[in-house]
Amino acid sequence: MKVTYNWLKDFVDIKVAPGALADKLTMAGLEVTSVEERGGDFVFEIEITSNRPDWLSVAGVAREVAAITGKKLIEKSHKVTKSQNHKAEVKIEIENKKDCPLYTAKIIKNVKVGVSPEWLKKRLELVGCRSVNNVVDITNYILFETGEPLHAFDLDKLQGNAVIVRRAKHGEKITTIDAQERPLNTGILIIADERKPIAIAGVMGGRETEVTETTRNILLEAAVFNPAVVRRGRRSAGIQSESSYRFERGVDLEKVTCASSEAAGLILGLAGGDLTGARTAGLAKSKKRTVKLDLFSVNKILGANINAARMKSILKSLGFKTSGARNVFTVKVPHFRFDVNSPVDLVEEIARVHGYENIAMTLPRVKPKPRLGEQPDKVALIKDILTGLGLNEVITYSLMDKSLLREFGMYAGAEALEVLNPLSAEQEILRPALIPGVSACVARNLNQKQDYVNIFEVAKAFGLSGGVPSEELRLCIALCGTKSMLLDRGVVKDTAGFLQLKGIIETVFERLGLKAHDFRPSERPSVIDILLAQEKIGMMQKLDQPALARMDIKNKDLFVAELSLERLLFYYKPEKKFSRLPAYPGISRDISLVIKEEITAGQILETVKEEGSVLLRQARISDCYQGKQIPAGFKGLTISCLYRSDERTLTEEEIEPLHSAVFKRLYEKFGAQIR
Amino acid sequence: MDIEAIKTQIESEIQGVNSPQGLEEFRVKYMGRKGVLAQLTGVIPTLPVQERASFGQQVNALKEKILLIIKEKQGSLSGEKLMTQKGSGCDITMPGIARELGRLHPISQVMDEICTIFSRMGFSIVEGPEIETEFNNFTGLNIPLDHPSRDAFDTFYLKSNSKLLLRSHTSPVQIRVMKSEKPPLAAIVPGKVYRPDATDASHSFMFHQVEGFMVDEEITFSDLKGTLGLFAKAVFGKDIKMRFRPHFFPFTEPSAEVDISCIICKGKGCSVCGRKGWLEILGSGMIHPNVFKHVGYDTKKYSGFAFGMGIERIAMLKYGIDDIRLFFENDLRFLKQF
Repeated sequence: MKVTYNWLKDFVDIKVAPGALADKLTMAGLEVTSVEERGGDFVFEIEITSNRPDWLSVAGVAREVAAITGKKLIEKSHKVTKSQNHKAEVKIEIENKKDCPLYTAKIIKNVKVGVSPEWLKKRLELVGCRSVNNVVDITNYILFETGEPLHAFDLDKLQGNAVIVRRAKHGEKITTIDAQERPLNTGILIIADERKPIAIAGVMGGRETEVTETTRNILLEAAVFNPAVVRRGRRSAGIQSESSYRFERGVDLEKVTCASSEAAGLILGLAGGDLTGARTAGLAKSKKRTVKLDLFSVNKILGANINAARMKSILKSLGFKTSGARNVFTVKVPHFRFDVNSPVDLVEEIARVHGYENIAMTLPRVKPKPRLGEQPDKVALIKDILTGLGLNEVITYSLMDKSLLREFGMYAGAEALEVLNPLSAEQEILRPALIPGVSACVARNLNQKQDYVNIFEVAKAFGLSGGVPSEELRLCIALCGTKSMLLDRGVVKDTAGFLQLKGIIETVFERLGLKAHDFRPSERPSVIDILLAQEKIGMMQKLDQPALARMDIKNKDLFVAELSLERLLFYYKPEKKFSRLPAYPGISRDISLVIKEEITAGQILETVKEEGSVLLRQARISDCYQGKQIPAGFKGLTISCLYRSDERTLTEEEIEPLHSAVFKRLYEKFGAQIR
Repeated sequence: MDIEAIKTQIESEIQGVNSPQGLEEFRVKYMGRKGVLAQLTGVIPTLPVQERASFGQQVNALKEKILLIIKEKQGSLSGEKLMTQKGSGCDITMPGIARELGRLHPISQVMDEICTIFSRMGFSIVEGPEIETEFNNFTGLNIPLDHPSRDAFDTFYLKSNSKLLLRSHTSPVQIRVMKSEKPPLAAIVPGKVYRPDATDASHSFMFHQVEGFMVDEEITFSDLKGTLGLFAKAVFGKDIKMRFRPHFFPFTEPSAEVDISCIICKGKGCSVCGRKGWLEILGSGMIHPNVFKHVGYDTKKYSGFAFGMGIERIAMLKYGIDDIRLFFENDLRFLKQF
């Protein structure tokens, strides 16, 4: 909202410079976002918080200026013309007083509509309002000065003898002064004559009845409309105005008559004419409110030491009236302060004017209730492991395009959680999986000519569980492309694949002490299930063609894994047990085999472990080879076996038969040959 | 020959050796087949029997000494070679060989930093769901259903159940924690929030917040100031200035917006701070009694403060990032800068 320095001076004797005043206002809660010098005046742009409709006027801001600069507010006196009490020929009907607590109309005849004087034009222009004609300008001037929206109708354009405040009927329409035809509905409150709507109440007047150069007689409206109703009307009509902005926040009922008289006085002065009558319908007064304020509690909440006299003078400067005993005030709330309902609201008023900067900085006496080993700590540990493995964390949107589900082979949209009010297709659903978003992120980086993309995300995936929306914390990892590493013997290339992905996930499992893990081919092609304690907690996948095409990834394989962190952490047990270090040295023996390609490393290791005696402590794959020296359809595999006893140093002679037995078994079972 | 004299000679001679060739000449002179040591050894049989043993020992000691001197010289010469010569041996100006570390997203880094600061002050980290009820997101926080204050928290709703929404701030976690626990409590809540804003350089429909709150019998507004003062110094440095401006939030009273002195211009006024010299970084206040009523706390007994901040904004200020969309594009060239 804009106000000007000189306009404020109509109400307060300001002794501080515009810049200093702006700082003071900001520190009192009226944030001045800019001060601009224009035409010998200073325009303040102020951000008014939604709880303070009483600040939406020059007079309202002036009251605050008076309070924070210790000056008196200059109250304007209003001349009331006698004819104001004559009954106007137009009747007012209010359909529902909840929608419109107060409606007043003044009839002014024989006005001369024309150009406004310069001073009026200039003030309006400084606060960002275009000059129309003297009558319209006066209604706007009073709006900016007092915060009370007014509207003037061309009386001769009204049909019949009544102004009716009612809800619009289905099918009714109005062309507003901005020349837009707007359909109305029963949620919208309108002003109508006996025939049809003439204004959207509190929002905008109709074009047909607007005041123009040819207007002779006017009806001046000053009213109060229900904020929620105006808000609804503004929303469904899709227009906002200075009036609706103020009505939505609340307009002071007590000031309606004043504002109307002031406007009428100005009209008579600038456009001539006679005030021939007035009408009022609805309530005349707002409810009186008092709040009991315990002075001790003010300082208790603030951690301050403000004395009673200071509190009293602050409240008085803001228009509150205080009375009562030494430690408890009874505070009468002025009618324009809708926001003050409880003691704590007064605490803020006192603190604000006293100055937040004058309240000390202290540290609370904390009684700690630490939560140890909570989920966030474990998730942080997992993220650290992943970054340690070279992966970069990404954050992608939780909302996604529903049509992506099909290409990514996910369940049909029926189970997806749809957003009621998305702004675009990319916000249609809450993502049921992280893979699409993370894949899009890979595609984006490939586009930027990255040869190797290794990323992960930890975020929620959403779905329905038993018909109820649910969310689950998941981990998604994606690998794509080839990483080149310069070692001292030259460049080594590492191309993303399932085993790289498996290695990363295994490292996480091992580091968290999750031993019972397994990776199993799923029924779906190119998909491998990840199991913990026999429970499927996730999967890894080589993305298939439709998904790659949708992401516009060409000539590259994309490997992704997604697993439930909640299930993973369910199995996490941080206890670790020490195993005694071996007292005697072990003997390591390798077996190099040539086996059929389709025999898996897992099968071989399993057989080795079954067959190996108690002395076989460890068996692992130490080499795998396919190439010139191995016939087609076969592969070379080397298994390193470690034999050890806890009681003595083993001898070669002891090991020999055991090791031969292992090989013999592999030969029998798989036809394995020594390489 | 006088062995002591030879020792002295060796010590002075080795000083003059400063190349591998020189060292080799030195070695041949003393250790060679016809070198000084060989000559000394040759002398032994000619000595009287009773002197042979002690002379032999002296010769041996001399031999050890020469070997040691040569070894030391070799070491210092090859060290000099490393510093001055390329090609042979190791070129230390080649890139080091190591596994590249990955990075946490800058948002995670800032969020972790903030959470750590508050953890050290005794706050515990709590998280809440992103799908929230209308009650927790609005009503419980004293935000009336049909009120302009709701505009600031414009919200995504779920199609299947219009009472459910994507939380528009992290404050609903206050309600969750207070409903399940009694004071004293101090919690810090990091997380994602959603608002249907059109995306541009400074708006995103998804962003991150950190919420913090503390409730006990004697928590004051001055405690809020002190706590946030410590926080600002920890994040932005000791010299940072801070100011509390009155503001309005439905869930706090008194409420304050907190500004720090502009970290770019140090308060002089620049384009980042809009010539104001101050940067708004968070909203805060004393928890409104109506919020306590909703969770069943005795408003006479307890008081508390709450604050909330946007992480993207803080990260943008901290790192000088000028477009919020960069956080969600996840370009590796961007991510690897942090």
